[in-house]
Amino acid sequence: MMTGENMSTVNSHYAGYNVLNRMDEWDSHTKEIVRRRLGPFPERQFLSEREWAYLSIIAEHIVYDNRADIIEWIVHHCDRKFADETGEGERKKGIPPEKILIREGLKALDHAARLSYGCDFGGLDVEQQFQLLADLQQGKAAYIPQWSLVPQKALFNKLASEMVSAYYSHPAVWSEIGYGGPMYPQIYVRIEEGLVEPWEARRNGK
Amino acid sequence: MENRDFVKHNCDHYSDHRYDHMNKRKFGSKEVDVCIVGAGAAGSVVACELSRAGLEVVVIEAGPFWNPQTDFASDELAMQKLAWNDTRIVAGSDPLSMGHNNSGRGAGGGTVHFTGVFYRFHESDFRTKTLDGVGEDWPITYKDLEPYYSKIEQDIRVSGPRVFPWGTFHGPYPYPEREPVSANAQVFRRGCEALGIRSTVAPLAILSAPFDGRPPCTNRGFCNQGCMPNAKYSALIHHIPRAIGYGAEILTDSMVTRVLTDRNGERVTGVEFVHDGQTYHQEARVVVISAFVVETPRLLLNSATSRHPGGLANCSGLVGKYIMPHTGHDIYARFDDEIRFYKGTPVLAVSQEFYETDLKRGFVRGYTFNAHGSRPVTMAKTLASGAGIWGKQLREIMTDFNFYARVTLVGEVLASPDNRVTLADEKDEYGLPRALVTFSYGENDNRMIAHGVARANEILEAAGGRPAFVVPDTAHLHGGCRMGSDPQKSVVNRFCQSHDIPNLYICDASVFVTSGGANPTETVMAIAARTAAHLIDIMSKGRPQREPASAAGRS
Repeated sequence: MMTGENMSTVNSHYAGYNVLNRMDEWDSHTKEIVRRRLGPFPERQFLSEREWAYLSIIAEHIVYDNRADIIEWIVHHCDRKFADETGEGERKKGIPPEKILIREGLKALDHAARLSYGCDFGGLDVEQQFQLLADLQQGKAAYIPQWSLVPQKALFNKLASEMVSAYYSHPAVWSEIGYGGPMYPQIYVRIEEGLVEPWEARRNGK
Repeated sequence: MENRDFVKHNCDHYSDHRYDHMNKRKFGSKEVDVCIVGAGAAGSVVACELSRAGLEVVVIEAGPFWNPQTDFASDELAMQKLAWNDTRIVAGSDPLSMGHNNSGRGAGGGTVHFTGVFYRFHESDFRTKTLDGVGEDWPITYKDLEPYYSKIEQDIRVSGPRVFPWGTFHGPYPYPEREPVSANAQVFRRGCEALGIRSTVAPLAILSAPFDGRPPCTNRGFCNQGCMPNAKYSALIHHIPRAIGYGAEILTDSMVTRVLTDRNGERVTGVEFVHDGQTYHQEARVVVISAFVVETPRLLLNSATSRHPGGLANCSGLVGKYIMPHTGHDIYARFDDEIRFYKGTPVLAVSQEFYETDLKRGFVRGYTFNAHGSRPVTMAKTLASGAGIWGKQLREIMTDFNFYARVTLVGEVLASPDNRVTLADEKDEYGLPRALVTFSYGENDNRMIAHGVARANEILEAAGGRPAFVVPDTAHLHGGCRMGSDPQKSVVNRFCQSHDIPNLYICDASVFVTSGGANPTETVMAIAARTAAHLIDIMSKGRPQREPASAAGRS
């Protein structure tokens, strides 16, 4: 768990709004999909215990939030995604398949952490974790031969894109940003500027 | 790619029959008139038209037969399954995003998750070599497609503005324009108005009044996640059920792995496909490949024989070459008031003011602006992957999610032989080489993007927004089996018949010679309707033959 500044206190324009209050209006398929994001989550399939812990740390930095239930959902999503055989959509030439990218990439992260800070990634303080991830994004983490197999930017982008997708699929985050959420079989009639449906999020003080 | 969804779907569909196995086939042991590979925008139209004319048709689709009520959901993450997610290897200076960005999987193909934006191409799109000295002219003109544009618009009740100011067709559309439009569309139109740029309500394959038991749009805004009320057209709910009603057999969760040829390699005899680990054959007098810009060339290349060592229909060596995406740059501006661009049909206002060549701009050809709503996952994910924004900065931007408006630049990309689909070393679960998709923007493309991004920012600024960020992206795909009159310089003729094998047709966006500067689905469907009319005509006279040389140059 991260310490230091409290990440969860980004100011929402919509304090008190909860998209789940209207869950009964959603179709059953959507309801089931969203409900599963609230936990409890089934056994992990792909990640080891250590990898799970690392992804939890990384997720807190990527989405800038440390609410345990949301982080757990994100890592659960990653676990299922990496276990799945459906396909990656696209993979850049020279980049290994995502299972290898993640597994070998997290090992490489340890090597780079030891080289720069003298301990495993899991042993870094929050500031060092952040710095290593920022370096990873730029491809500037400490040089180790493993990066030629699992390029740093590819590793960072794969994690960031899955984690961000999962984070912005969590209903607590939908509520915070004032997103209306699922909408079927209900309909919108107020879509023009300045109009909101009675049940939609209202700006603080409005 | 096999279906691994939790929900079990039937795989064999024909009139009054649905089976989850292949033991009760309608045309299983028969040489049918036409076998179509792929049930997307093109294949479904061809299937519907041919079966209506009384031809025996089998359509083979790799993905499932979706049920909108139980398979779709109001959720971005879960609905990524509507895309063709099978891994493609991407390369080049500007490697493409695939998946949801440009392809569909399952009955209906990409129409299941497209935004429904429905444009005709302009006359100039078919003659860019003559007019602008770039690309190649098509072997057909706008006039050849015009009746088919009208037919498709009428068949599916396209809604559109009273007057569409650009191109040749100015309306009227079969159904009235959508009203009201969303806040995101309103600010776009206000910005255009302030700058003297014409804009209109979008022409859409989305109902503005009831049709065929389907309701008008409910503005829930989830077009890209599959329309649950069935207000948006998709081949899944229109052409496929009609094809079945006219007698066609649709096989789903069935991956075509090879197109088969006779011993001399002079004609195709059918296809080989895999369902649930079992290999089957379907014999046909004519095979139509409608598997889109990546899978169509891949299937042709993977069907190589000793008679066709470079792949089928590839004597020209052009199968897979000249692929073109559209630029899909998203331009965001922050407003003081809420926009809430998750509400309403995503694209409700557009402008083609910059569509035609104007050399003063420093580039040839042009683009369309679509005022384009978004949702949290799409916005945040593209900011992370396309603009490198994460952590505290991303969280802060997304806190203001409701205050952004967005315009998408759908720009024409010029054809280059270096942008192509080839086979990778790596293989998929069927043992077939994966597609390697190589793409790099050219000089003209980059100048157009710079122009479009600047104009979009001016429009949003004129409406009171502050330019916030630009996320580079692409959309749609075209080319790879271009049409033409010269068999040395093209893969298919003006009726989508392959130059090399007279009973092999290729009918989808891969036959595009240029990409145009507008969403391509209507043109894909118009070409499909034209190909169907041609097939009906010649098949009433026997098996398709090669065109006589004297006719090949005509259009």
